[in-house]
Amino acid sequence: MLIERIDALPTDEIGGLKVRPGKPLPFGVSHTPNGLNFSIYTSAGTACTLVLFRRGDDEPFAELPYPAHYRIGDVFCMVVFGLDSEDLEYGFRIDGPHNPTAGHRFDPSKVLMDPYARLIAGRDLWGELPNWERNYPYRARISFDDFDWEGERPLEIASEDLVIYETHVRAFTQSPSAGTKHPGTYAGLVEKIPYLKDLGINAIELMPIYEFDEFENSRIHPESGERLYNFWGYSTVGFFAPKAAYAATGQFGMQVDEFKQLVKSFHRAGIEVILDVVFNHTAEGNEHGPTLSFKGLDNKTYYMLTPEGYYFNFSGTGNTLNCNNPIVRNLVLDCLRYWASEYHIDGFRFDLATILGRDPWGAPLSNPPLLESLAFDPILSSCKLIAEAWDAGGLYQVGTFPAFGRWGEWNGKYRDCLRRYLKGDEAQVGQLAQRVQGSPDLYRPSGRSPATSVNFITCHDGFTLADLVSFNDKHNEANGEGNRDGGDDNHSWNCGAEGWTEEAGIKALRQRQMMNAMVMLLTSRGTPMLLMGDEFGRSQRGNNNAYCIDSAISWVDWTLLESNASLHQLVKALIAFRHQHPALRVNQFDGPGSNLFPSCSFHGTQPWSPDWSDQSRQLAWLMSCNLPEPQRGVDAIYVATNMAHYASWFHFPSLPIGFRWHLCFNTGDHEQPCHPAEPALDDGGILVGDRSVVVLKAMAI
Amino acid sequence: MKLTIESIAQDGYHLICLEGDVDTMTAPDLLDALTALELAALSELRIEMAQVGFLSSAGLRALVFAKQKMPHASRLVLVGTSTEIADVITKTGLTQAVTLVASHDDA
Repeated sequence: MLIERIDALPTDEIGGLKVRPGKPLPFGVSHTPNGLNFSIYTSAGTACTLVLFRRGDDEPFAELPYPAHYRIGDVFCMVVFGLDSEDLEYGFRIDGPHNPTAGHRFDPSKVLMDPYARLIAGRDLWGELPNWERNYPYRARISFDDFDWEGERPLEIASEDLVIYETHVRAFTQSPSAGTKHPGTYAGLVEKIPYLKDLGINAIELMPIYEFDEFENSRIHPESGERLYNFWGYSTVGFFAPKAAYAATGQFGMQVDEFKQLVKSFHRAGIEVILDVVFNHTAEGNEHGPTLSFKGLDNKTYYMLTPEGYYFNFSGTGNTLNCNNPIVRNLVLDCLRYWASEYHIDGFRFDLATILGRDPWGAPLSNPPLLESLAFDPILSSCKLIAEAWDAGGLYQVGTFPAFGRWGEWNGKYRDCLRRYLKGDEAQVGQLAQRVQGSPDLYRPSGRSPATSVNFITCHDGFTLADLVSFNDKHNEANGEGNRDGGDDNHSWNCGAEGWTEEAGIKALRQRQMMNAMVMLLTSRGTPMLLMGDEFGRSQRGNNNAYCIDSAISWVDWTLLESNASLHQLVKALIAFRHQHPALRVNQFDGPGSNLFPSCSFHGTQPWSPDWSDQSRQLAWLMSCNLPEPQRGVDAIYVATNMAHYASWFHFPSLPIGFRWHLCFNTGDHEQPCHPAEPALDDGGILVGDRSVVVLKAMAI
Repeated sequence: MKLTIESIAQDGYHLICLEGDVDTMTAPDLLDALTALELAALSELRIEMAQVGFLSSAGLRALVFAKQKMPHASRLVLVGTSTEIADVITKTGLTQAVTLVASHDDA
């Protein structure tokens, strides 16, 4: 006999709607038989009202105060019957003390957004000026989360096999040169999958796609008159919702489906999707910022506050989320579990992650509970967890980030060393040897492996690769801050002229330097990461902090794909080469090596004799392993780098009879840097040009 | 704009002709018309879309809902869908539920 559940029926009527006491978990909105369960947490709030709007209306059609017996612990929960969930927007009013020095900022005149909102309306079109007077600007809606994945699942590619490509949804296809039907959107990015697949990368890392406010700190540039935005999006409004204005279907409220379709399409192309997540602060700013959600729900729980009730600012952006408070910790866990399970996300990169390891008063914890929870979470167990292991409060933890055997790191030391070596700085070869083998100096003592290290030379934060070899100094005038913003420690070299030049020699050197950087990055052990467009020389005109620029400075210029075709061809060939050669992807320090060579060895112009002196600007590395069944045999890759201003003859390490060295890449050969035919070299060595890199592989005759 | 719905049993398939906008107000009418059919026994459902100017997320959801009630090997065919609506269907990954054709001859 089929018995209908009695909780499918209402018990009370409030505000003209049928209701019954709800369930405290899950937080946010969930579907129940015949109704919707609205659950919201506040520890210091004294009363709560559910506010219901028809889609887009300024005035609510119903306000439902939660009766006292609808509160369990600190959670207000209520099931409401008979709602049209397609046409519904909801929020909360919370009453309680307004005493900022004690940390409380309750204001029942504000309608607050559900921190667990999975679909957010109100700001569906990028750059459309909002109505600042609106009482409830970001409007929580009901998401069905019933996408048909057709059996698709996350790819679970091993970290050491990844080649990550960092990109920004809008910047990637907004330029007309992208030729996409839906510029600047998730759908536009999907249109570029064939390009990315052809390039050979197997993971994209998306700069923030959680709902954020592009108008946060928006202003008009005093000279150019251009509007400046929060273009990058490192300031979250809703942790559970994809940004509506990044969806071509955002105006129809279909961003959830469009983003899931993006993930599904990438997975079908064999490419993982990693999200750049910002849990260190929110868009509510400091005491002068807007009240959107957390501030009015339970300010003291969600934010780190000084004893006087002001906001700690370890993020450099106004406030700091109180991540090691158990309530916030659970919010972060719930959020990541949701994205992993509901969106099939393959990994997360945590912006300013060391903040997540600070206690509620800002001191670094030796055993941060949030980082530990994430490392051992059952739902996140196959997700990549990557930390940006520093914060704006001065805590730098590259190599010492509490990893629990799980966390990878953006390796800032790799970036700095490779840049300095590339420009010919003294005293870099010793450190370079550590960096290219996966930074054992940083990661071996704690039992971590080379793939812990996400190796990169450029990322969104700083110069692009083309700018790294074209500018000595930052040129951030377009940001409207008098060129004071952005880092000064760029370790860049303009090759002889600042910025744009027609000088052929300088242009050729820049081209070679970009190629050198790419060769070294893609022949290093660890997980390489490329910045969008660097494979064809994208420039930001010397701007090393284009966080606020929504114009051609930030947008990828796809015409460069043709004008810098040889660089693109080289990067594509290098990525393919990396995928073909397991010696470059060995994920252990002190590996057994191969029948011919140790796992990783270093050489100079004479084999087995690297010059470690401070004056040395030459280093060769040889990486080797035995090939697994069924191929058998040996994989051995020799990379000779010469950052000196003169050419040098590099003698190869000798091979046993039956093997020969074959040339694969030579950046010093302007006409032909790639050698797909892999000609054999019989001279016992090769002339490596000034500021050039050569790559060889050993093959059986 | 109002939505008119005409439901006609044809030889080998069932045809629903739509004229107007399928929005938040009218999507429930479409859902009613679809659930009134014996979906579990239908091998093909065709929807005449040429006169539809707008299809909201609720309308799309009604179509996917109908397809899920139909037998596994059945077809839900949208005939003459406008480029704009077809675009939304493609971007949101609903093409696995529906088949888009230009005319009845292509169905």
